Amino acid sequence: MNKLFAMIDASNRGNFEKLTLHRMPGALPYAGRYRLIDFALSNIKNAGITNVAIFPFGNYRSLQDHIGSGKRWNLDRRKDGLFILPPKNMMMPSEDMLTFQRMHEHIEYFKRSTQAHCLIMPADLVWNINFNDVLKAHIESGADITEVMHENTRLQTFIIDKEQLLDYITNYDIIPYKTIHELILKKKQINRNIYNHRLYTKRIKDPYTYHLSNLDMLKFEIGNTIFSRKRPILTKEKTAPPARYTKTSQVSNSMISSGSLIQGKVDSSIIGRDVIIKEGAEVNRSIIMSNSVIEQGAILNNAIIDKGVVVKRDTVLEGSATQPFVTQKEQILTDQSALKVLFVGTEAYPYVKTGGLADVIGGLSRALSKKGLEVSVIIPLYEQVKKTYHETYENIGSKTFEFGGEERKVTVYKHIRKKIRFYFIENFKYFERENVYGYDDDCMRFAFFNLAVKEVLDMIGPFDLLHLHDWHTGLLPKILKTRMAKPPKTLLTIHNIDYQGHCDYTVAEALNIPLGEDGELNFLEEGINEATKLSTVSPTYRNELRYEYYGKNLTNALMKRERDFHGVLNGMPKEFSPQNDKVILSQYDFTQIFTKTENKLFLQEKMHLSLGLQKFIIGMVTRITEQKGFSLILEIMDEILTDNKDIQFVLLGTGEEKIISSLEKLARNHPGQVKLNFGYDATQPNYIYAGSDLFLMPSRVEPCGLGQMIALKYGTIPLVRKTGGLADSVTDYDPFTKEGNGFSFYHYDAMHLKERLLEAYDIFKNQKEDWKNIMIQAMKSDFSLDTQAQKMLEIYLTII
Amino acid sequence: MENNVLAMVLVGGRGTRLNPITKRMAKPAVSFGGKYRLIDFVLSNLTNSFIRTVGIITQYEPHSLMHYIEHGASWDLDVTDGGIQFLTPYTSFEGERWQKGTAHAIRQHMHFVNQHNPDYVLILSGDHVYKMDYTPLIEAHKASNAEITIATFNPHDSLSRYGVLSIDANNRITDFEEKPDNPRGNLASMGIYVFNRKVLETILAQEIPEGLDFGKDIIPMALKQNHLIKAYLFEGYFRDVGTVESLFEANMDLINHPEYLKLNDYKYLPLYTRSSDYPPHHVMLDEPIIDSLISDGCLIQGRVEHSILSNNVAIREDSSIKNCLLYSGVIVNENCTLENVIVLEDTVIPPNTQIAFDEVTVIDNDILWALGDENNE
Repeated sequence: MNKLFAMIDASNRGNFEKLTLHRMPGALPYAGRYRLIDFALSNIKNAGITNVAIFPFGNYRSLQDHIGSGKRWNLDRRKDGLFILPPKNMMMPSEDMLTFQRMHEHIEYFKRSTQAHCLIMPADLVWNINFNDVLKAHIESGADITEVMHENTRLQTFIIDKEQLLDYITNYDIIPYKTIHELILKKKQINRNIYNHRLYTKRIKDPYTYHLSNLDMLKFEIGNTIFSRKRPILTKEKTAPPARYTKTSQVSNSMISSGSLIQGKVDSSIIGRDVIIKEGAEVNRSIIMSNSVIEQGAILNNAIIDKGVVVKRDTVLEGSATQPFVTQKEQILTDQSALKVLFVGTEAYPYVKTGGLADVIGGLSRALSKKGLEVSVIIPLYEQVKKTYHETYENIGSKTFEFGGEERKVTVYKHIRKKIRFYFIENFKYFERENVYGYDDDCMRFAFFNLAVKEVLDMIGPFDLLHLHDWHTGLLPKILKTRMAKPPKTLLTIHNIDYQGHCDYTVAEALNIPLGEDGELNFLEEGINEATKLSTVSPTYRNELRYEYYGKNLTNALMKRERDFHGVLNGMPKEFSPQNDKVILSQYDFTQIFTKTENKLFLQEKMHLSLGLQKFIIGMVTRITEQKGFSLILEIMDEILTDNKDIQFVLLGTGEEKIISSLEKLARNHPGQVKLNFGYDATQPNYIYAGSDLFLMPSRVEPCGLGQMIALKYGTIPLVRKTGGLADSVTDYDPFTKEGNGFSFYHYDAMHLKERLLEAYDIFKNQKEDWKNIMIQAMKSDFSLDTQAQKMLEIYLTII
Repeated sequence: MENNVLAMVLVGGRGTRLNPITKRMAKPAVSFGGKYRLIDFVLSNLTNSFIRTVGIITQYEPHSLMHYIEHGASWDLDVTDGGIQFLTPYTSFEGERWQKGTAHAIRQHMHFVNQHNPDYVLILSGDHVYKMDYTPLIEAHKASNAEITIATFNPHDSLSRYGVLSIDANNRITDFEEKPDNPRGNLASMGIYVFNRKVLETILAQEIPEGLDFGKDIIPMALKQNHLIKAYLFEGYFRDVGTVESLFEANMDLINHPEYLKLNDYKYLPLYTRSSDYPPHHVMLDEPIIDSLISDGCLIQGRVEHSILSNNVAIREDSSIKNCLLYSGVIVNENCTLENVIVLEDTVIPPNTQIAFDEVTVIDNDILWALGDENNE
């Protein structure tokens, strides 16, 4: 059959965290002996297609290693065959879908292909499909393009005529569609045909779907469709003897691959090649990849064990069906029940708070403590803490040490709150001031803090791990390494790359640390170089930081630590809930969203906007800085408000004068439509979250973002730019499948924002049921601290 | 490899004592250990010894073997300089070249040997169970200046089943007897020979009656003609699985003594085989499976004890398998009991069948029919 050539779109990163640190999603092991891309390649082979191009992103070594010459799938052809076409532009993160621009980089491939039709599919689908049937249906329908769907799910799989495709590729820079997906969504006159694939199909996009779909293979009727004898799924040849069972084996409803030795108990699990399950070990609902060892007495529930992992004796790994426990490749896991962690930071809720950091430290330490860890927190003792808490904490001792040529004394106080030990370091010279930050000698103050923490460790420790937060603690790894024989392991969390702590030689001299090549001492850079592992506040931000646009001067430093660098989305404290919010007028949850309208009218009344439920209120609660996307907003808002008198805009925040004056001008031009509140009132923004219809957050950069999560909980639909934590929490609404909890756009471009904003307004105005549906999906979104804590724990276990 | 070695693998044996296992295939194609075939051992040994120019001399039922080996890619033997060549009987200018005996077979293909112009010719059989690096053997042969070297071993069973050698203090072979009742020597021949090519050519150029074997005829002849023949002692696990009992026993060694063949060792002498296209096997219920080896594609609902299941075997509910070898594609239907049987490829055991023997017995679909008829009479 020579009518089709195929493109495998392997540009989607998914959200696999640790599982894809070393590989692309397509190279993920699946069902014991396969890799995800085997499904795409085998379906291609079974349709007799012999011209295939794979478009990978980033590191495709493991994929290349697996595929080889493609011989296994009949792709080692003299004519046509297998082509791997990597991105040419490595400077910017690529979109998670193949663009016409990416195709244009390899236009020769398309010109050379002689087949009349092009089949496009992703590398992360588990399915068994006859593409000849799809082609037949495509030709019979006479459509421009056929989209393959399963039930109500898009599969990003299309057949399009080559000449048409070539046309889009050639004109990629002038057409308004960047991908085939957009083409289908936006080009009104396109003739689209849908091919419904009825058999089992699953898109693997995160540990949850990965775990679920692997276990699906244990259902006979599903496993039998996927591993059909008629259209076999082929994989790379490997040598392994049959699996061996001994006298103590106890196996039920499980798939066991070759080379494994089963001496223990296995239930409802998938065991990869050459895995050893020792006597007395128990494995339940878990996926174990090749070459791992589960030792005596270990218990695994809902775990995903990557390749070459050793789970030591009596270690218990407990995940859930929705949140499986995930390990990293070649990790050694030991019993973690009494793991001792010290959080090091500059602020902690409830003692002292200037921003989000205090909430993260306060919330995460509590969630980890609930998981059975022994958590301590250490911060400087500020004046405000002293005032409020001096009667509650106890003095546990003092220490004198040398800093900058002088003897300095610190005293440590301890307060146990909800099982967490909080330690405060007292030093009159550096910490006893009215504010936390903002002094000329901040560099010196926090350098001193770093040293002080090291000096008091023996009074409050020992700890298995020090979890450091932000640049203020960045020197600690180096101090520990140079001044201790056995330095404790460290994890440094970067909350925002913009704050690095650029300091001069005085600090370096005070600590006796050499300066960097550029003649300055960069706290964050030191931390990035020296910490055992690194993390940041969302998976997408982690990926973005590899590019200079986001990572700035630290891109190279981070690239060097790429495999030690994790992204974990911050959780949201339970306090944010429209059900329990006493500040708003009427409480509600997703079963009673009509109550939200009372809050809407209240907001209009409070802000002196014209009343009416047909009005579309766009809300913002934000710092007013360029980073938050104000250049886009100011570019389009005037026109939008002029054209749509029913759109209202309310904003609460503080920030840059220049932007504020532009906003004020906008308000003057549209009285009754725009209301601004520049007295940033952090405790009282909830009436905006409760009363608005749309929450606007088109940030240029957003490491994690909290506003969009709160808005989701309050059923206020976020419209965001697909960046950082925004990309990880907001799923763009698809009008066809009706799935999504908000709206998003990718390019930092005012026209894209405007387009999406008006589309959202159109749905609000004309498809009320759909809007309600988005609200419900939004309110059901879950960003719990518990999830964050589990992922953090998984990272801790890769360190100790 | 700097040593210019050509391997000639004899796979023509009918293996009559393995009947009916060898009814439709040559002995080297016989299934072993669930996922392997006997030929895998010699092909893996060759690739592990970096000997990649290989002639495979076939005659009896060659098709399943040729189909299985293809270009030798599974053993990394698909190299451009050398690789695998199947040597089949052919008609030459002088007439038909049908092979009669192992020596005769090599002689028929001497032209192929000379084409490759090797210094040494390594003669092997395709039906032995052993993991061996041939490099030390070749090195010993070279170092001793021997004209012929025979690889030998100390058998775990009676010497009388093998060719028995006597040696002097310098490892020079002084005596050779084929399957003697009262052996004079104490070393058994593995049927593995290294020849200097010139010597092989000289010996085979003589007038040789048809039906000659290396062990039985050529070696005693060479001894008589005073060629320098040395012995090389191989100390690893070696089995000549010529009978149903010995084949079964060698299979069961994989369960009882995994340390013998170390099939999980992929670094030192890994054993390669053609990969199957089956998913991992699926244990569907909570029935005991103990002391067994289970291959890909199996669906297991019954009990399995001390057995080896090849690819794609199905054991249905309420069935129980004990001390069995099930070859690929076997289906054991509901409520069956099997004990001490070797079940050949694609045999379907009907529901409610009880088969138990005291001695290991081979069955296939035909035999099952015959058994059924007997019972009905």
